[in-house]
Amino acid sequence: MAYTTFNRNEFDTFEQPMFFGEPVNVARYDQQKHKIFENLIEKQLSFFWRPEEVDLTNDRKDFMDLPEHEKHIFVSNLKYQTLLDSVQGRSPNVALLPVVSLPELETWIETWSFSETIHSRSYTHIVRNIVPNPAVVFDDITKNEYIVRRAISVTKYYDDFIELSNYYQQLGEGKHTVNGETIDVNLHELKRRLYLTMVSVNVLEAIRFYVSFACSFAFAERAKMEGNAKIIKLIARDEALHLTGTQHMLQIMARGKDDAEFAQIAEECRDDVVAIFHEAAEQEKEWADYLFKDGSMIGLNKDILSQYVEYITNQRIGALGFEPIFDVRNNPLPWINAWLNSDNVQVAPQEAEISSYLVGAIDSEVDTADFGDFDL
Amino acid sequence: MTNARRAARIGRRRWASSKTFHSDAQTEMELTGGSTTQLEMDLGELPLPSYARPAPKEDNVLEQGDLFDLLAESPEPTPQTIFEGMEKPIFEVAFADGRNARFQHANTLLESLEAQDIHIEYQCREGYCGSCRVRLVEGDVHYIEEPMAWIDDDEILPCCCIPKSALKLQ
Repeated sequence: MAYTTFNRNEFDTFEQPMFFGEPVNVARYDQQKHKIFENLIEKQLSFFWRPEEVDLTNDRKDFMDLPEHEKHIFVSNLKYQTLLDSVQGRSPNVALLPVVSLPELETWIETWSFSETIHSRSYTHIVRNIVPNPAVVFDDITKNEYIVRRAISVTKYYDDFIELSNYYQQLGEGKHTVNGETIDVNLHELKRRLYLTMVSVNVLEAIRFYVSFACSFAFAERAKMEGNAKIIKLIARDEALHLTGTQHMLQIMARGKDDAEFAQIAEECRDDVVAIFHEAAEQEKEWADYLFKDGSMIGLNKDILSQYVEYITNQRIGALGFEPIFDVRNNPLPWINAWLNSDNVQVAPQEAEISSYLVGAIDSEVDTADFGDFDL
Repeated sequence: MTNARRAARIGRRRWASSKTFHSDAQTEMELTGGSTTQLEMDLGELPLPSYARPAPKEDNVLEQGDLFDLLAESPEPTPQTIFEGMEKPIFEVAFADGRNARFQHANTLLESLEAQDIHIEYQCREGYCGSCRVRLVEGDVHYIEEPMAWIDDDEILPCCCIPKSALKLQ
């Protein structure tokens, strides 16, 4: 089915599934099949923040005083998060927008991706602040084997889906010969890839980010890199919302609420889902090993972090209606919850200590020299 | 979140942090459809500490203050939500593993449980992350804020609800 940016067919929006129905025409929100996406959009908009709002001057000093192995932990996590948000700032748009069929979901996907671009910009803000030449950090992202290995497993589901989806939009279902290769495009396989992509995104938001979050908050618990922790807190708040969005999409699919075929696919893919969660958890544990290769940091070491990964993996897979896959029953880092709680996120800058809030700011510095040319 | 709700939340938070007296009239108005301005407590009158308070006069009538001596939870007056035409929600909460608590003063079920040393995973505390999800085996709850996180039919989010009956949780 060819994609059109303005579909002129008449159809009942309530009859449309989330994906692979009629392409969206009018971006109207008076008729909403899944109101939750509108709620998510509003919540995300209410969360709006800019990295420049957070003052990082103390972080520069803190960073210079960190021992080498802690600098490694800090910078490595930043690199990884930069990668994750680079992927998330573009892939939902590229992969999902061409096949989406509901206006509120289309707008949610755009809002979601947009907020990831703010996260990306905030990493540059942090990196600029701690190192003289940001390129040394960013250039390593595509070279570092520990990051690349995980990047592949994050992006392969997206790429597999996008490839087939492109053929589907150009050629439709059926067997096609392209450049001498036979390509079998069928909707069932396409939907399967979409479902697995959503699961992999869910894992990215639900598990992969949290190792970095834990380290950032562990620094801040010692009153180090607190500006960074403030930014990570804002990012964590957004990610929790994105996670909710993805869980809703997965559950709507798995319950066949608007497309019975997805319920069947979800049933077929149960083992794949467990495998994706398992692989991600193992990779994050390996990452913990890499982070602490030259030494642990106070309050956090490889074992505790690995247990935390297992714990949140159980939590997240449980939310999708699966049995836990690890034995950990209790949160080994309970203090993290307080950091992840958005209640302490500074949202009203006039109320407390953010000094660098930019909106509507005026320069109120007055020097006696300003009155120099006054005559009475 | 509507502006009124945000204002109410901020009001509540201010109260909690400053321990000065504010009315929570806005919350109440919202919850009762805006028709009443009846306040939970008289603004001119600061509550006495529990030890200086006279004993309850009638055994079967409990008031907010009278309960201070009875149970754990917060011993300070918290701005509990009041529902017009509905008794104050005081309910027993039991867990499948044998732990017990009583909901009486708190704004949310989560706060109540935490005050009684029952720790539940949390993150956002306003219903959008789903971290505090627990299974409701028996009973009914009222959502103060509509939960946004995905929850199954038999699950509740304690961070944004209060009990409407005695509860059994898992």
